[in-house]
Amino acid sequence: MEKETTLYIGPQHPGITGNMMVKLKVTGDTISSASTHVGYLHRAFEKLIERRNWLQSFTILCRFCVPEPDPMELTYARAVEEIEGREVPERAEYIRTIVMELARIQSFMLWYGGQSGSSGLYLVGQWSVGDRNYILDLFEDLTGGRVYHMYIWPGGVRRDLPEGWKDKALKTMDYLEKRLDEYDKLMFDSTIFQKRAQGVGIIPKDKAIEWGVVGAPLRGTGIKHDVRIDEPYCAYDKLNFIVPTQEGGDVWARALVRRQEIRQSISIIRQALDKMPAGEFYNKIPNPMKWSIPAGSAWVKTESVRGEVGFYVESDGSNKPRRVHVKGAAYTHGVTVLEKILVGQNIADVSFILNSLGVCPPEIER
Amino acid sequence: MDNLQIENNILETIKTAFKVEGKVVREKRVEITAHKQLISSILLFAKNQHNYIHLNHITCVDWIEDGEFEINYIIWSPTTKNTLIIKTRISRENAQMENIDNIWDQANTYEREMREMYGIEFPGLIGEHEFILEDWDEMPPMRRDFDTLEYATKTFYQRPGREDAKDVREELTKQSGEEIPEFAKKYSREK
Repeated sequence: MEKETTLYIGPQHPGITGNMMVKLKVTGDTISSASTHVGYLHRAFEKLIERRNWLQSFTILCRFCVPEPDPMELTYARAVEEIEGREVPERAEYIRTIVMELARIQSFMLWYGGQSGSSGLYLVGQWSVGDRNYILDLFEDLTGGRVYHMYIWPGGVRRDLPEGWKDKALKTMDYLEKRLDEYDKLMFDSTIFQKRAQGVGIIPKDKAIEWGVVGAPLRGTGIKHDVRIDEPYCAYDKLNFIVPTQEGGDVWARALVRRQEIRQSISIIRQALDKMPAGEFYNKIPNPMKWSIPAGSAWVKTESVRGEVGFYVESDGSNKPRRVHVKGAAYTHGVTVLEKILVGQNIADVSFILNSLGVCPPEIER
Repeated sequence: MDNLQIENNILETIKTAFKVEGKVVREKRVEITAHKQLISSILLFAKNQHNYIHLNHITCVDWIEDGEFEINYIIWSPTTKNTLIIKTRISRENAQMENIDNIWDQANTYEREMREMYGIEFPGLIGEHEFILEDWDEMPPMRRDFDTLEYATKTFYQRPGREDAKDVREELTKQSGEEIPEFAKKYSREK
């Protein structure tokens, strides 16, 4: 009988999707058990928010997950709006939709790099991270920031679309759409990627929902669930798009779902720019230093690239949140789901599977 | 209220079965308030009878004024696409709550976090005691009476040799002739 060895991957490891560690028990190259260890990045975000007023919280919120800060802003803003009963102008809903889809595309671009890089196809990441900069340029023009925006606020968005931004956004979409074909040749047509991805890290369809799987990993098992369709928010109910699904539940299926979702995001942005009504973009809030929200709570969900992001927000009627509790997809994907599906896999596939689940460690420890 | 028929049906079924209070918050949101001893039974009932098979979230709110913690279980049904929020309150003194990781495996993560951050015990909970914090021997930090400022002052100190470092704002205001706003003066180093 082969000897069982303990192996630690992370917290400092190029294959880990952030500061976390996976402790493995391995026999030969095969994993017999896995456990996730977090705590290397804990900055007490949720505690800090309790000491800030409703608007100051935005400076912390966007830092929950660096690759995708905008869903955090939107979910929090929607929760505050729900408790307060604040209306959002229709134009702002369209702008929010565009921001969310741009955020999805730039996050997809990072995922391209991580997913392909963990199978040795480094060129894809070099291209996609370069192309991601065109999205960041759009964000910079719109919000003033490239990565963190603090642009979506309760009541709408901070400012209207700048002059010429629409044309620039449409040109960027045209460019990216062409580039996707190039990515396909490098990544999805590659035998290396196909052989590495197929049949690896399988999530069983009959267990997926019960295990807490959400987002592309859930749709990769053939289950059609997307918050944008099931509980529409922003302007998603006024736009046409499909929710791609794949069968198999493996890394390959998850990658194919994401591949199709980027094209859907491009289509959503074009439609939103075309149908956007004129009018107000912000239902102004009172002086933020004196702004109190009526007592109450809200549970609000948003679809991010990694899956569902949920915020539980509680107000005690004061000018600071009583509690903001964040549930990102990584909270289940990076712990219980990962620990289950790693069993029986090869050591070399750990980072490959981690990338396919979209694990963002700060979302776990917050 | 016709468009809330599903929500009302679920609410009535649970109210009838467990004699608990609840309300339909809005479309796709039902909220129940129950005694802590009923929680696992309601969760199992909702899971088996109404297909609430997805555990969305478990969250804790510290109501220090009332001497209680509020624990909220948030579950979701793929059949009706509805979310059910089950609220309960437990005492802050010797806080203890039933372990439900036999119903959902991933509840284990939430419970470990609550044990560490709020000091709530879950009898029978398996899992290393340390989840996020390392070598922590202070009060559970998410409790409202944990003083973050006191902890930060005690733990983090001025690097030796920098005691005479000047407050940048003070210097800038002196140069520009402006005044530091009243609300910001409490942060000033010059007492």
